[in-house]
Amino acid sequence: MMHTNERMFLWRQFTLREGILLGFCATFIILARAGLRLHLHLPGHVMFFTMFFFLLARGCVPKIGSATLVGLIVSLASFLLGMGTKGPIVFVKFLLPALLVDVAGYVFPAFVNSVIACVLVGAVSAAARAFSDTWIEWLSGMEGEIIMQKTIITASLFAFYAGLSAVAVPSIIRRLRRNGLIDHGADEER
Amino acid sequence: MIKPVVKNPGHKLLRSSAYACQYMTHHSPVHRLAAGWKIAVCALLSALAVGVRTPLELLALVAVSLLYYFAARLTPFDLWRDTRFFVFQALIVISLYCLHSGLSKGFWPGIRTSVQVILFYIPGAVLLRTTSTGDMMRGLRQVVPYRLSFLVFVSIRFVPFFFRELEEIMTAQRLRGARLLPRQLLDPRNWGDLFHCLLLPLMVRALKTAEDVSLSAEAREFGRREQRTYFDMPLRTVQAATSPENQCLVTPSVLQPCCNTDLRNRKD
Repeated sequence: MMHTNERMFLWRQFTLREGILLGFCATFIILARAGLRLHLHLPGHVMFFTMFFFLLARGCVPKIGSATLVGLIVSLASFLLGMGTKGPIVFVKFLLPALLVDVAGYVFPAFVNSVIACVLVGAVSAAARAFSDTWIEWLSGMEGEIIMQKTIITASLFAFYAGLSAVAVPSIIRRLRRNGLIDHGADEER
Repeated sequence: MIKPVVKNPGHKLLRSSAYACQYMTHHSPVHRLAAGWKIAVCALLSALAVGVRTPLELLALVAVSLLYYFAARLTPFDLWRDTRFFVFQALIVISLYCLHSGLSKGFWPGIRTSVQVILFYIPGAVLLRTTSTGDMMRGLRQVVPYRLSFLVFVSIRFVPFFFRELEEIMTAQRLRGARLLPRQLLDPRNWGDLFHCLLLPLMVRALKTAEDVSLSAEAREFGRREQRTYFDMPLRTVQAATSPENQCLVTPSVLQPCCNTDLRNRKD
């Protein structure tokens, strides 16, 4: 909930409390990546929790840049903790879907209230992450058709898991709002 | 002097890391390189990886990359840990090439591009494995604004805290009958329990903790000014104490207030 007389702390947009809360969302993504994996041995299932917390961050702090801030913190933290198997590419991996969540939030501020919108945004943002490797493959001289087919397979898996987790986001946001833990108006702040 | 008993030294030699890209403490030439040089080598090798085309160039680059990797005293098992993620991708790429151009024509391009992609990431893995978190954090402070780096460090600092919280919530909810065992979570019908019995209470805890932490930091006037400032008095004391003529005055009690407080340097 927005408290009165709270000073803006970061980017003239977030208070210290909101910044720390978004930092905790990043902590949960790190925890999910480190220890809370489903051990499904299927590629793409990491997006299950990643997109869930991106969408939840957007719902808890309904401001432009909230998901991007989570993406930035999680990529910096992953890099520092040595959790990014792809080295510096980890920034693109997290920032690209987070940016898309924020773009969706700018266009349709109340999307976290709708299950369908959440699933759509989650799936599209997660699928976009599959494109983060495309430029390396393209520079390596891989054929365009092969790149496209591989990207489609990876993107479908990412979108599938992200869509599954996005289903739960609106109900959790609703329950948090009902208990007065977060702001009610998702569309009042842009 | 009692010598430590080493059980199966060969096992230690092979299995030295717990997860991919884990930082390993070794005395190696690569470890001794400055972070800036490692980034430069990483950029150079990665650029070469996307540029090679002929088998000879590729072989030479594989040799150089492996030499760089093993110069950091990392083991073949570490290499497998770091690159096994790409094996799945390589299988897809080679299969797609073979389907697209036939086995004879598609096999080599598939292998080449897969190896190129792996070679692109190996220098990054070496960077992460040979550069300590402390060194990275020191570097980060010079590049990232202090407010953002504060949030990054808070999120890292609270990983063990939330891990404990998660375990406590999970135990309590299991006692209430929630289906949260790893075996039960394989069934998608139980994912409702995961969200409503585990992640929702965790989020409530995060909201409360964020409020407490921000209140605590704001009580110390953290974030009041644009530049990071420190308590003036202890800093002067430490500067005086750490001067060559006063080396004997440095004690942990003198250093403690300066390191642990975020109180502003109030001149008003």
